[in-house]
Amino acid sequence: MNAVPGTSVYGESLRRFAGKEHRRWDPTRSKLGAGMLRTNGDPAALLPQAGSTVLYLGAGHGTSVSHLYDHLCGQSNRLNGRLVCVDLAPRCLRDLTAMATQRPGLVPVLGDARQHGAWGVLVPTKVPWLFQDVAQAGQVDIFLAACQRFLAPGGVGLLSLKAASERWTGEGEAALFNAVAQRLAEAGLTVVETIDLTGYEDHHRLFHVRNGGLNHA
Amino acid sequence: MWLWYDWRAAAVVDDQGHLVDVIEWDGHMTEHAVVERLRTVARGALIPEAQALAARFPEAKALVHGEPELPATSYPLPSYEQQQLADQAALRLAVEGVQAAASDPDRRLEHLVRGSDELRAHHLTMEARLIEWVGLFFPMTVATDRQAYVRATAQCATSVEFAETMEVEVPPVLPSEVEWRSIQEWAENTANANARLDRMENALRWLAGEHLPSVSALVGPLLAARLCVEAHGRARLARLPSGTVQILGAEKAFFHHLKTGAPSPKHGHIFMHPWISRSPRWVRGKIARMLAGKISIAAKIDAFEGEPWGEAEVAKVEERVEALREANKQPPSRR
Repeated sequence: MNAVPGTSVYGESLRRFAGKEHRRWDPTRSKLGAGMLRTNGDPAALLPQAGSTVLYLGAGHGTSVSHLYDHLCGQSNRLNGRLVCVDLAPRCLRDLTAMATQRPGLVPVLGDARQHGAWGVLVPTKVPWLFQDVAQAGQVDIFLAACQRFLAPGGVGLLSLKAASERWTGEGEAALFNAVAQRLAEAGLTVVETIDLTGYEDHHRLFHVRNGGLNHA
Repeated sequence: MWLWYDWRAAAVVDDQGHLVDVIEWDGHMTEHAVVERLRTVARGALIPEAQALAARFPEAKALVHGEPELPATSYPLPSYEQQQLADQAALRLAVEGVQAAASDPDRRLEHLVRGSDELRAHHLTMEARLIEWVGLFFPMTVATDRQAYVRATAQCATSVEFAETMEVEVPPVLPSEVEWRSIQEWAENTANANARLDRMENALRWLAGEHLPSVSALVGPLLAARLCVEAHGRARLARLPSGTVQILGAEKAFFHHLKTGAPSPKHGHIFMHPWISRSPRWVRGKIARMLAGKISIAAKIDAFEGEPWGEAEVAKVEERVEALREANKQPPSRR
C-alpha cells in the first residue's frame, strides 16, 4: 500500500484496490522483493513487524526502502515505525533524502556501514530486523559486526550477498555461499534459509538468519 | 569504569553496571543544536556532558552508546520526542552531507569535460549538415571559414539575401521560404552551440586551474582536466604510476597489446599536447614517457596541495623535450 499516494518512487505502477492505492514491488529492482517471491517459507517472515525500528545498511537509491517504508510506517507514519538507512554514496543519499522529506520515520544517514560509532547513537535500542546489501569486499564481516551491535536477540537479519564482491576461491559460487552460511552459524546466528535469487538478481543469495543468543546484552 | 555517552546524555558506569553519575542535556533542544551534537559524536569527539563527566572521573574509559565493551544496563536513552528530534536532525545532516558533495571539484570537472565533449560532437555534426545543406542550393559558395559561413547563413532572412552576401548568382532552384527559415534556425543553433562551447571551456579552464594548478601549468588546463577525469579523480591521478598516466585514454590499444602482443601504445590523451603530437614519430614515445613522469609529479603536488609549479619548472621540462628532440634527429635505421 502506498504511504505517499499518487507518487511513484522509481517508475513502478500504481493501482487502486478497494479504494487504497498499492505500488507494484518490482523483484528485479529489489533484492528484498525477490527474496520474498523466492522463499520457501512464509514471505511475511522476511519483513519486520509494522511499527518497529529497523536498520538498513546499504540503502542505495531507496527502491527497497520505499516498499519497506510502506509496510513499516504507512501513510504519514501512522504505524509509528522507524527506518534507519545508511549509505556511503552522496548520490544515493540525494534520492533518499528527497524521499525522507515526505516520509516521517525514514532516517537517512550518510555514513560508512562499518563505522558504527559515527551513527550508532541514532539506534538507541537493539533492532528486531536488520537488512544489509552493501556489495563490497568483507560484506560478511560487516554483517556480523552489525548483528552483534544492533540486532536484538531473536531478531531477524537479512544479508544480501553478492558473489562477485567476495574473493574468488576457485571452487565456484556454491562453495562460497556454503562457506558464508557456515561462518554465520559459527558466529551464533541461526541460518533459517538461504534464498537463491537467480533470475531476479544473478549471482546473489539472500541469507535469512535469526539471532539465537549471539549476545544477550 | 566506563563513561557512556550518546548525543544528549552521558553516564559513568562501574563494573557492576551501576550508574555512578549521570548528566543529561538540559539546554533548549533546537534542530540546529542536535545537528551539532550528532556531528560531534560522528567525529568521535565528546559531547559537553561527557566532557564534564570525564573531568570528574578521569579513569573512566569513554565509549559511545552501543560499543560492545560497555556493560549492559539501563542507560538514560532519549525519549520518544527527543528521538524524533534526532531523526529530523539526522535528515538535516544527511542533506548537508549530500550538498557538500557538490564542492567536490572532481565531479564538477567530470561534467564539464564530458559535457564539452558532447557539445563539440553536437556542434560539429550540426555544422557539417548546415554546410552540406546550404551547399546543395548554392554550389558556388565555398566554406573556407566555416564559422563565418554559419554566421552568414544565420543572419540572412531570405535565400536571395544570402546569395547577395556571398556574392554569387541567384541559382534557379531556391528553397521555399519556410525551408530557408529552417536552414536559418539551424545555423543560429549551430552558432549558439559554438558560443556555448567556448563558455564551457572557459569554465573548465578556470576550474582545472584551481583544482590542478601544477598539471595545468605543465600541459594546459584542458588536458589536465581530461587526465583527471579519466583517472577518476585527482587523488587517484596522483597515485597512478606514470606508465598508466602515459597511456590513459589508449585503453583499447593497450588491451589489444596485452591480448595479441601488438605494439604497445606510446601515448593516450597526452598525445594532444603539441610537445608530442608535433614531434617526429620516433621521439614521441620517449617524450611521452618523460612527460608522463612529470605529470605524475605535478599531480602529486596538486593532490597534496604543495607549492604549485610555475613557469620555471615548466621551462625545465621543455628543455628536456628539446634535448630529446635534439638527440633523436634522425629516425632509427631499420635493419
